[in-house]
Parts: sequence; structure tokens; C-alpha cells
Amino acid sequence: MCGAIAVGLLLSSVANAADPVDYELDVRPVLKKRCYACHGALKQEAGLRLDTATFVRQGGESGTIVTPGDPAGLLIDRVSSREEEERMPPEGEPLTDQQIRLLKAWIEQGASGPQGEQAEEDPRHHWAFQPPVKEKVSSSANPVDVLLEASRKQHGIQTVSSVDKRLLLRRVYLDLIGLPPTRDELHDFLSDQSADAYESVVERLLESPQYGERWGRHWMDIWRYTDWYGLGPQLRNSQKHIWHWRDWIIESLNEDKGYDRMVQEMLAADEIAPTVPDTLRASGFLARNYYLFNRTTWLDNTIEHTCKAFLGLTMNCCKCHDHKYDPLSQEDYYRLRAVFEPHQVRLDQVAGQADLEKDGLPRAFDAHPGAITYFHLRGNAKNPDKSREIQPGVPEIIAWEEWSATPVDLPLESYRPEVRSFVLEDQLRLAEERITQAELQVEAARQESSDSSGSPDATPFALLLAEKKLATARLRPDTLRAAHAADLAEREQSPDQDVLQRRAAKTARRFELAEAEEALVLAEQSLSTAADTERAKKKFQAAQEKVASAGQAMKTPGVGYTRLRASLKALEGPAETDESRYQPYPAVSTGRRTALARWITSRKNPLTARVAVNHIWLRHFGQALVDPVIDFGRRTKTPLQQKLLDWLAVDFMEHGWRMKHLHRLLVTSQTYCLETSTMEADSNSVERDPDNDHYWRRRPIRMESQVVRDSLLHLAGLLDLTLGGPTIDPQIESTDYRRSLYFTCSRDDKHKFLSIFDDVDILRCYRRQESILPQQALALANSQLGYNAARQIASRIHSTERDQFIAAVFETVLCVDPTEEEIEACRQALAETRSSLKKIEAGEAERRARENLVHALLNHNDFITIR
Amino acid sequence: MMHRRNFLSGMNTTLAGVALNSLLQQDELSAAHAAPSGIPHFRPRAKSVIWLFMRGGVSHLESFDSKPMVTRHAGKSIDETAWKGVQNPERLKKVRVVVVNDANGQQRNKLYPLQVGFKKYGQCGMEVSDWFPHVGACADEIALVRSMWTTDDNHGAQIQFHSGRHMLDERVPTLGAWVNYGLGSLNDNLPQFINMGPRYFDVRDGHYLGPAYDAVPLKVDPTNPLPYAQSESNRSREEQRIEFDLIHRLNTLRGEAKYQDDAALQARIKTYALAFRMQTAVPEVIQFADETATTQQMYGLDNPQTKPFGMQLLAARRFVERGTRFIQIMHGEGAAGAWDSHTNLKANHSKLAAQVDKPISGLLKDLKHRGLLDETIVLFATEFGRTPGSQRGNGRDHHPYGFSIWMAGGGIRGGTVHGATDEIGFHAEEHPHYVTDVHATLVKLMGLDARRLEVPGHKRMEIDFGEPIQEIIA
Repeated sequence: MCGAIAVGLLLSSVANAADPVDYELDVRPVLKKRCYACHGALKQEAGLRLDTATFVRQGGESGTIVTPGDPAGLLIDRVSSREEEERMPPEGEPLTDQQIRLLKAWIEQGASGPQGEQAEEDPRHHWAFQPPVKEKVSSSANPVDVLLEASRKQHGIQTVSSVDKRLLLRRVYLDLIGLPPTRDELHDFLSDQSADAYESVVERLLESPQYGERWGRHWMDIWRYTDWYGLGPQLRNSQKHIWHWRDWIIESLNEDKGYDRMVQEMLAADEIAPTVPDTLRASGFLARNYYLFNRTTWLDNTIEHTCKAFLGLTMNCCKCHDHKYDPLSQEDYYRLRAVFEPHQVRLDQVAGQADLEKDGLPRAFDAHPGAITYFHLRGNAKNPDKSREIQPGVPEIIAWEEWSATPVDLPLESYRPEVRSFVLEDQLRLAEERITQAELQVEAARQESSDSSGSPDATPFALLLAEKKLATARLRPDTLRAAHAADLAEREQSPDQDVLQRRAAKTARRFELAEAEEALVLAEQSLSTAADTERAKKKFQAAQEKVASAGQAMKTPGVGYTRLRASLKALEGPAETDESRYQPYPAVSTGRRTALARWITSRKNPLTARVAVNHIWLRHFGQALVDPVIDFGRRTKTPLQQKLLDWLAVDFMEHGWRMKHLHRLLVTSQTYCLETSTMEADSNSVERDPDNDHYWRRRPIRMESQVVRDSLLHLAGLLDLTLGGPTIDPQIESTDYRRSLYFTCSRDDKHKFLSIFDDVDILRCYRRQESILPQQALALANSQLGYNAARQIASRIHSTERDQFIAAVFETVLCVDPTEEEIEACRQALAETRSSLKKIEAGEAERRARENLVHALLNHNDFITIR
Repeated sequence: MMHRRNFLSGMNTTLAGVALNSLLQQDELSAAHAAPSGIPHFRPRAKSVIWLFMRGGVSHLESFDSKPMVTRHAGKSIDETAWKGVQNPERLKKVRVVVVNDANGQQRNKLYPLQVGFKKYGQCGMEVSDWFPHVGACADEIALVRSMWTTDDNHGAQIQFHSGRHMLDERVPTLGAWVNYGLGSLNDNLPQFINMGPRYFDVRDGHYLGPAYDAVPLKVDPTNPLPYAQSESNRSREEQRIEFDLIHRLNTLRGEAKYQDDAALQARIKTYALAFRMQTAVPEVIQFADETATTQQMYGLDNPQTKPFGMQLLAARRFVERGTRFIQIMHGEGAAGAWDSHTNLKANHSKLAAQVDKPISGLLKDLKHRGLLDETIVLFATEFGRTPGSQRGNGRDHHPYGFSIWMAGGGIRGGTVHGATDEIGFHAEEHPHYVTDVHATLVKLMGLDARRLEVPGHKRMEIDFGEPIQEIIA
């Protein structure tokens, strides 16, 4: 409150017309905040600019808006108008009386600004919209160091010294593979005297499959990985088996696939590799955004996060109106919507499992190539402007050539996935399994009916139903075979096709009759049990009619039959009927997403490589070159280390967008190897650059939730390094020792331990939080996981001598040598614990005291911290 | 969180400078955003909130909004009555359907008679249904709002009531998170924001404010009240103390030797001290041995029907006494919430009301008796009301167009009935209030200006702020 009062006083003190108004202090900030967006460099509505005093005096299309010396005039009229239609600014609160008084006083005093006042910069000249340039680095040293050192020198800043080898090894292990080194690995490294000892560790880690898991989890954050969720069994968000996309991420990283290629596959695998299931997994990126209830919400999320993740653009801001800061128009927004408009998601059968509940490949495809995108007035989906059809495209500001999408003719296997060789065989196997199950159910129902003392005449309902189900199940294999044969014959134009078609039709009619009879039994039962008898009666009648008509159809089976289905389109809204859901898929894809992906990953795109490099840099260094990482627009000033960012971005592209190259470059820099301690730092540097913008020291990083758990298990020798596969139920944490990224992770599925350490936010997670909470202390100090790890670690250290044991624990858990004081503190704790355990046998008490010591170190700040 | 405190301790002296700065440069993110200091923006009327939320949708017609006309015209279709205008599509427009063609959330036309009688209570003569006699007896403490509305006709309205946003919109922090963000804690040994009872399907509160502002799930079970509050091993208290001392010693030694200016390390040392105290403090709050039999009876702990909810409320009072800011208590199990009476409304509501009625009155009386009611706000709310028309013959459907909530306590004008629905309880007609008006009222009474809490990059919409309900403020 006192702040507001102070401001009020300050402003009112200059509000008398007689007192000189300070343009810079009292006028410009108001104009900047409230007017520049429409009357500045970005836009000049009504031909008017207000970003310099000269422009204000110049006026716009409707003539002058101020007359110096005269407080009346259009500017004052418009800002003080009582008519909402008239009043400026058109959005938000009107200017305050105080602001208007100041404006008036300023005009009265001549409406002048400072000499040589600079107008707002042309938005197109914003740094991030210019192509990055790779500055020539003459030294043979690591360019990261060369460029940073130049900037440090300029500002009189000195780095701290390098971190010792032990902590460096721990740092690079946790950074690259998300696991700390074992003691053996530490000893090997310390005893390796070769010049490239560190470099060879880096190579080994980058080649390790755990690298893909560690960095895959980072990219899963950015790309918003989530397993499906909804209400009960109803799927509302994301897709089943979306873990295939996670595996694709891990594998792509491990094989060092170019980032450009990864982006292309995520956005358009169905167009660029339509028959390669491994690649199709990438389009999980799109499938993740699936939302049952609202297509606009779904597409909004796709647009927002495609732009934030890959381009660092806050495109979401221009859904309802042109962007207030960036040269992005509302029309640009709908251009992007048009790119995504045709796409939908579906679940394709995968080889070896025909049951889509058990496995399947969630993927994107263009279901509606002809879908039209309209401009939504004020972003309201209920208010499309039918006179404004929007063509697909990209934001004009960064379009360097005519944007065009080339439609893609899809191979048959892609739009008719049932023709793939394994489909029939897998479905037959499933059909056989279901027969066996149905037989067992009949058996069980029979058993039940003979056990119970019901009336002997009537066949119990359960048995009747089981028998009907079995009858249907038994017809299924023939139906599948006949349909497959007929379809094949048709595709091959075989002379038998008519015969086969009729046979398939006949089989299909028989199957349909069986299904109808099964349904009738069910309807009959609910007739006697349902609360709403009216409805049940109607249903029963309908079921009766269906049996009758199915029986009739048997007499004239015709030629129609249902083809095999090896794919299931996601419901387009909760009301979608089977009829539209089972429509054949189009044979042509629009190519729009491919074109978008190519544009995003073009070497000419000034944003993509910079954004990617910045994400990678952030995770290596704990601070970003450009912050916030999702907004490279005009609100984000030219970064202090732009030369470095640009050098890295160009170099990244020149090296095939390969991430391992970039990782290698960054982690082998001197800058990466700096100490986190500032005790010995140059005081001048501490003072001048407290935020470490010049990277003169290393910022400590708090382990992410997954790293905490994985590290505990790894040090304990318990971690199961099996790669990939279906997700694991997070409720069984105590018995499953797989890496943490394999737990089911969604709005509803959370891992109790992980959630306490700032686990991923599935809605947006461009950067993990690093909170420090008492609940985290409780989790580390009290969980079974921590005790379990402590016990295992203690049992794996074979030193019997106490001080040696203490040193070994420090080395295992923290990778450091203890100081004499630390050893003494541990000795005391061991002694104290033993004496508190008098009732226990001495050897056992010592063992327990040692476990507690290990446990204490697992709770040490420098365990959870990457120094 | 610790960072924020440290950051701010250096900030208080220049608060005026910060405010001026932010006024002038609000478009420059970094310069403008001063995280809240924990000091209220103006004089608070209350320090804590006990937020009672009945999940599933309480029928306003059978709780706090008696409508004799519904009974008088029972069996008639709404269109046959004088109120046929209520279903004019224009008037139904503001509801945004989530579950298309759902069996629920439909208009029910045939008026269904009130299933319970009403009586007048207190000096104010507030009418309350016979299912809530104990709450009725507290009428002079209560400010009843009979004119709430919301825009979700399904149970996503639970999210909406807590966050102010419809389920199809962005997820934003809930009121409890905002209050904690703005005010922080009065007792660092206890969690600051607690949730008891079954959550609706979005279990996060903090959202973009961060996980530090999510409610801590708490069970009234002294052996295991919070996640990891008790050791999952057989370590004795003494062993644990020795261990915590060692952790403290080692962190301090390393800090002194190498990392003196590492704020995170200092914060971590502090959280271990807090955690150690929390382990004792929390179980101590939720065990009731030192509560008299009379007190326990007031909350209904002597009756198996009222005991579960009563224990949560008694725990809530004990947390409030010790400085916890916001206690959210959810009543009604199940995905949708137990109050969701599409059928058998009478049996269902009378049973559920009996579980909460006595404990709530016990809470109000106990708070008052201890002088805590002046500084605590108790809210009774639900996501929406229920249709005047019948569903499946003996139930009522979801009804977002008009429903009731009430508040009592610090800064609230007791014995007030504010707003009204039309004569069949359909639309909130007189002084209609969207759910964020409840937020605005609470925030104001807590001494906060919600607009000053806004976080850069997360612009709040005008409707998020709501308007305080002045008429119920004392």
C-alpha cells in the first residue's frame, strides 16, 4: 500500500499545469504501455504513430491530434471519451484521470520530447528475426570459451577456477545420463592420466543408451508428453500407448538423429514416412494434443505449443487479436490452424498384437483434407466469419518464400492399414483366443447353474448369454478369412472376386445374425432388471427387429461385407457415431504439415536452431542464454550472449542439427568445468555480474525428480536399466526399479515420490521448477526408497575400518573426500547412534549406525544438487 | 519459496521504489514483477479460510432456497406455468457444454416437488431446510447467497468453482493457491494449504504458481497424515534426531567451507529443520486427546455418521488455531461427487446432509466460542444446484443457472440473505454472482488485491477477479 501512495504523491506533485511535465517519466511510459501496440512501429492504425513526441504532433489520417499549447484536441477527446466505442485505448481500463491530466499538461506545455528521440525499432529488425551469423573464431580453443571470454574481458569479469575432477565427473554423468558415477568409475577416471581422459568419458556417456533416456525426458517435458487420461474408462486427452512416441524420442536421441529430422517426423511422419511404423511413432507429438470435447481447444494447444517449443513464438497471443508485441497477425494464427485443420489421430494395429486395448500405434493422419478454416471473429469458435476462408501458411514476418504444400499420394498400406501382411494372422489368433475364453465362460456358467438350486427347466441367463457369445466368437475366424480373401481378390482383380465377395457377404450375414441374437439376450435380461422399463422395452423391441432383419438378410446375403479393420480413428467428439468413425481413410494427405515442418527446420528460419540450442544450453548450464525460453519475440531483449547463441545455432545446423555434437562442444568447454563455489571469486565479478550472465562461475542445479529417484536406486545397485516399452503403474514404486521416466505420467497418474520434487507439469513444462520444500526433506528422510538405498549402499562398501567407511560413503554419495571436520562429525554421529541402540547386539548396532550415516548423506544438500 | 523470502527481505525497504518502477515499466517482465511479500495489501478482516465443498451438486431447492411454487405446480411442465420464459434459449446460452449428448446436464421440464420442509431460523428468520437444522441454528452467523451461477453443466464445474475458469479453458491456480501465494504462512511448522477429502479430477492448485502452492493432501490419521510424514522404517525418534543433527552439521560445514553465498543450500538447511518439526507438529494437530468430550460431541465425533467429516472439521479448527491459511475440505466420494442425486434425491441428500450438518454447526460454534470466528471465514459451497424439474422420477439434474452458497466468520455480515432466484429456483435473478465473486469476497477479506498478485506471462481475465459481494460484508 505504501508503494501506491508514494507513487500517487509523486505523480500528483507534477500534475498542476504550471509544473513542468517530464515526458520521459510521465507521458512516454503511458503511451508505450497503452498505445504503441497499435500506434507504433508494429502497426499504425489510422496512419497514426505515437512512439515519439514528433509523431504525436504530426497526427494521422484524421489530421493533427494535438495542438501544442492547447489542451483540447483529438487525442484528449478520444482518451477521455465517455462512449465506449469512441474511447481509446479500445481494450482494457480507460486511462486514469491522473494520466489524462498529465497528458493535457504536457500538451499545454508544448508537447515536446527530447532532442533526437528514437522511434520504436522496426519490428522486423528484432534480433531474433534476423538470421544468426557465425562469427569467425580465430583461436583454436573451444568457441564457447573464446566468445564468453571476450565478453567477460569487455566487462572486466574473471572466471572462478575449474572444479575438481571428482565433482566434474559427477556433474557430467548426471548431466548426460542422469545417473551418478559409481565409485569404480570415479577411481578409473581419477587414475586415468591421459590427456583426453575427460573427453573419453564424455564420448562413452554420449554412446550410452542412458543418454537417450536422460535427454529424452528433457524433450518429453518440452513436447508435453502425457499418457492418456479422462474420466473412468472414457479417454479424453492424449492417446493410449503413446509411450511409443517416448521410445521414438529415446531411440532418435541415441542414434543422434538430426533435430531437424526429428521435428519433421513429429509433425509429419505420416506424410514423409507413411509406411514406416518406427517413424510414425513420432507423430505422438500431435496425438498427445487429442482432446475429446473440443476441437478448437485441441488445435489451439497444437498451435501454441508447436510455436513455443520449436520457434519460441507466443503465437497463442494472436488467437483473438493481432499480437500486441510481435509482428504476428490474427490471420497468421488461422493460417497455422489451417495447416493442422485436416489432421486427426488414430490407433493402428501393430504386428504381434491385434487387440488395440493392449497395444497399438497412436499416430496422426489427414482425415479431412478438404476441411475449411474460417477466421474466427475475436477468436470465438462460435463466431466464424464464413466469408473469410483462410489458406494454410506460416506467419508472414518470417516467410522468406511463397509457402506451398504439395499433396502426398499415400501408399495403400497407409490409408488401408488392414492390407499389411500380419493383420489377418494376428486377428485370427486373437479370434481363436476369444473362442477359448468364451468356451471357458460357458463352462463356468454351466458349473454355476448346476451348483445353484434354481429351477431346472429354464436355462439361466448367464449361461444363455455365454453360449451366444461363444457362437458369435466361433463365427469370427471364418468371417475374417472370407472378408480378407474377397478384399484381396478385389485388389488383385482376380477372376474369383465375385464368388469370393458373395462368400464373404454370406459369412458376414451369418456373423451379424449371431451378433443380433447375442444382443437380444442382453436386451431381454435388462427387460426384467432395468429401472426404466419403458426404455428397456423399446430396446428389446429394437433387438427383436434386428434379429428378424438379420435373419431375412441371410436369405439374400448380397455382396456387401465388412473389411478387416486394423485401425481405429479417435472419436471426433463424444457424439461421433460408428458410421463416421469407420469411414475409409483418405488416400491423399494435404502435405501441409510437411511443408510447415520443412519451413520450421529450414536453415533460413532464424528461430528454430536458436531455440533448440537455448533449450540444450539451459539444461547443461542451469541458466538460459535467452530467457524466457518460449518467447524470442520483441518482449525479449537482445541477449547479452547473442554472439555465442548465434555461433552455436549456425554450428548446430552446419553439423546436421546433431545434438551429440552440441553436447560435446558444451561439456568440453572450460566454462562448463567451472566451480560452483564463489568463495575464491574475484569480488569485482561477484559485484558486477551477480546473475552470472557472463558465465564466470557455475550455477548449481537441483536434480529433477526423476534423477533423484534414479540416482538413489543406481547407487544402491538396484536400478533396472531395461529400455523402453509400456508404462509402469506408479503405485508399484517399491517393487519396480526401472528408470523413472517409464512410470505412467498423466493428470491422474502421478508418482508419489517424484511429485514432491517438482515433477513435470504435463500442460506446460519448458523449464522445471527447483523449489525447496520441507515435504522434500520428509520424502528423502522418511521414504522406504531412501532407507532401502542406504541399506544397499552400506552393504556394498566393504571397508571395516570406520574412517575408511566414512570416506567411502562420501565418495559414493557425493563424489568428494570428506574434510577432517566432516569425518569427526560422522564419527560422533556413529557413536551416538550406537549408544542409542544399546539393546541391540554391537555388530548389528554398528551396521545400523552405518546405514544411518549413508542415509544422512543421501539427505545432504550436495546429493540432490549437481555441483 | 525460501528464495522469495530472502529476496524480499532486501526488498521491503525499497517497496515504494519497486512499485513506481513497476508502474512505469509493466511491459518489461523482469523489472516489473515483485513477488508478493506476504504482507496484506490492506487491513485484513480474516486470517484463515475453511473451505467446505460438497462435491456433486447440492440441491439449492432442498437446502437453502425454498421454492413453494415448485411444489405447488409439481407435475406440470415448466412451459405450462407462468415461468415458461426461464428456458428461453437466450437465457440458457451462457452455459458451455462439455459432455455433448450426456444423459445428465439436460433440461428437466416436469417440476418435482420439494422433498423436504423449511423452517425459519434465528433473529434474521433465514429459511433453511429440515435437513440442515444445526446449520439453521447458526443462521445469525451466516450470510447466505442464493444467486450464484456458473457456466459448466457438468462436474468440471468443481474446477470452475475453485479456479474461476471453465473446464474447456486454461487451467489456472485455485483460490487457495492465490491466498497462499499472496499471504504465505503464519506457522512454518505446518503446511500452509491443506486439502482433506476426495479431490475432483484436477488435483493441482498451484498450476503456474508452481507446485509449492499445491494443496498438501492430509488425512486425519495421526500415524500417516501427510505423504512421508512418518518414517517408513523402524528408526527410533532418537536415531532420527541424531541423523537430522548430522545432516545439519554436514550441510553447515560444507556451506562454511565452500558455499557461503549459496541461497539454496541455506534454504535446504532450513527445510530440514522445518521438516523435523512438521513430523511432530502435524500429528499433534490431528490428534484430539486434549479436546473435551463436549467439544468432540459438538463436531459429532460420537456418532459414526458424522464422525469422519467432524474429525476433518475439528482438525481444521486446530490448524486454524495454529496459523494455517487455507483448509480445503471436500465432502462426497466418487468421480462426480456423492451429492450428485440424479435419482433418489431424498434418500441421498438426507443422508449426506446428516453427515455434515452437525459438524458444521459444531465448527461455527466452537470457532465462535474460542474467539476464532472473527478471524476465520467458513465457506459452504458446491459446484452447482439441481434442476427444479425431475430426473428419472425421483432425482434432479445438474443446474448451473442458479444455486446457493454461504459464508460465515471474519468480516461477514451474519444473518444476511443476499440475492434470489426466480420463483421456481431456476435463474439467479436478483444480484446474480458468478463464482469468482466468492473469490473476490474472500480475497478482499483476507486483505489482498488480486490484481497485484498477477504473474507476468499469465495475464488474468477480468472475470477471473470477480467483484466482492459487498452486501454480505460487515
